[in-house]
Amino acid sequence: MVAMRHSISRAAVVVAVAALLEAVLSPYLTFGGVSPKLAVIGVVFAVAGLQDLQAVLLGFFGGVVFDALGGGIGLFGVGALGGLLAGILTARVGIAPRGAEVLLLAQVAAVAVAARDVIGLAAINLAGLEGPPPIKFLLAGVLPDALLNALLAYAIGGLLLKFVRKKGGT
Amino acid sequence: MALCILCVASLVLFTVYVKEGDCTENGCGPLHTVQLGAAEVLRPVRAVFAVAASPFEGVSAAVGDAVQQDDEQQLRKDALENKELAAEASRLRQENERLRELLGGQRPSYEYASLARVIAPVGDQFANRVIINVGSADGVRPEKPVIVGDNTLIGRTTDVSRHTAEVMLVTDQMFAAGVRIVPPAELDRSSGELSPRNGDTGSYGEGMLRTGWEEYLGVEYVDLSAEVEKGDFVVTSGRAGDYELLFPPGLLVGTVESVSSEDIDQFKKIVVTPPIEPQDLEEVRVITDW
Repeated sequence: MVAMRHSISRAAVVVAVAALLEAVLSPYLTFGGVSPKLAVIGVVFAVAGLQDLQAVLLGFFGGVVFDALGGGIGLFGVGALGGLLAGILTARVGIAPRGAEVLLLAQVAAVAVAARDVIGLAAINLAGLEGPPPIKFLLAGVLPDALLNALLAYAIGGLLLKFVRKKGGT
Repeated sequence: MALCILCVASLVLFTVYVKEGDCTENGCGPLHTVQLGAAEVLRPVRAVFAVAASPFEGVSAAVGDAVQQDDEQQLRKDALENKELAAEASRLRQENERLRELLGGQRPSYEYASLARVIAPVGDQFANRVIINVGSADGVRPEKPVIVGDNTLIGRTTDVSRHTAEVMLVTDQMFAAGVRIVPPAELDRSSGELSPRNGDTGSYGEGMLRTGWEEYLGVEYVDLSAEVEKGDFVVTSGRAGDYELLFPPGLLVGTVESVSSEDIDQFKKIVVTPPIEPQDLEEVRVITDW
């Protein structure tokens, strides 16, 4: 039996490409409060199986790239914190039984997306800008956003996992 | 430990970014500069995606039609091709007229940057912004009005790089402008000059134009005693008392769609129809000085 292990370089590529794609594609795919959070999904599937330190560093890196590309609400630091949370959540979840991995990571992606949305709202208010009413935003923005991104994560997660894993090693 | 350090680093980045403020004529802070550099690098990528995304609406409609049709497929296909040709000719004619209008509608006292084309939208659910293909090399600076057609305000520049500029549209929830509401008969749209019948420009309703989280464009803080009617023009006021505002006076920003007020309200509720939808934007101009 051939063991599979994660390639950090491949994971970094996935995270960077996901951040780039979200920054460029998201404006075309935003419907109300819902948009594909590819950067978060990329982080979740790229860091799955990595050590805690590697996961948070890669999550932070992905978030900073996303912020630098002017993605999301455009406030520097929001993507970084969101990526960091996505990284640590994934690392804490640990390794799921084979076959249930994608489903579990899709749920992590949903939580991470919700967390980034909430961080975004908090950042808008902290920056002195007017944000939407929190309850309305949670119900009409965060919830559908998390659910749809979970579906998206479930749909593409298998491919991402396949890409970041390579044969051999321990 | 690493998690704490990176959390703090994220918060520091956020704080520094907010403290930098928007880019001004004196330049940008380091984090804004990083974003501007990235925007410049991404310009061709965004342009490619904008071109790739543009035909999707037409294609999806065509695909939908094709599913429903079976018998007269060929005839319909021919008719569709003819329609497309006619539409293309019509589009070119309209574009020609629009460009002529843009070039002819300039006010002599204003300075304009060269004609700009919208490259791509940016942002997510919190933003309504576009990138245009003129930048500091064309004389564009942050916080300058962006117009279309006959002096119709559609937004203002925010971050400006050498060859691109980000435009915050009037429908962005962070956009605000001091405006005045005037009857159509009292505004010369080409010059922006007002000709009040009673000779007093102070009698117009004044307020702040912005898109609230109820997601309509409206004018806030208009006094209950102000005379405002459906169909009135909303134009930039240029000044508020002794203060000179961000936009020159007389730029059209929309038409009053409805006016209402309840007894308990302190101000009128005014809903405004923007003169152009963001997705219809193609060519725009930046007013660099006035």
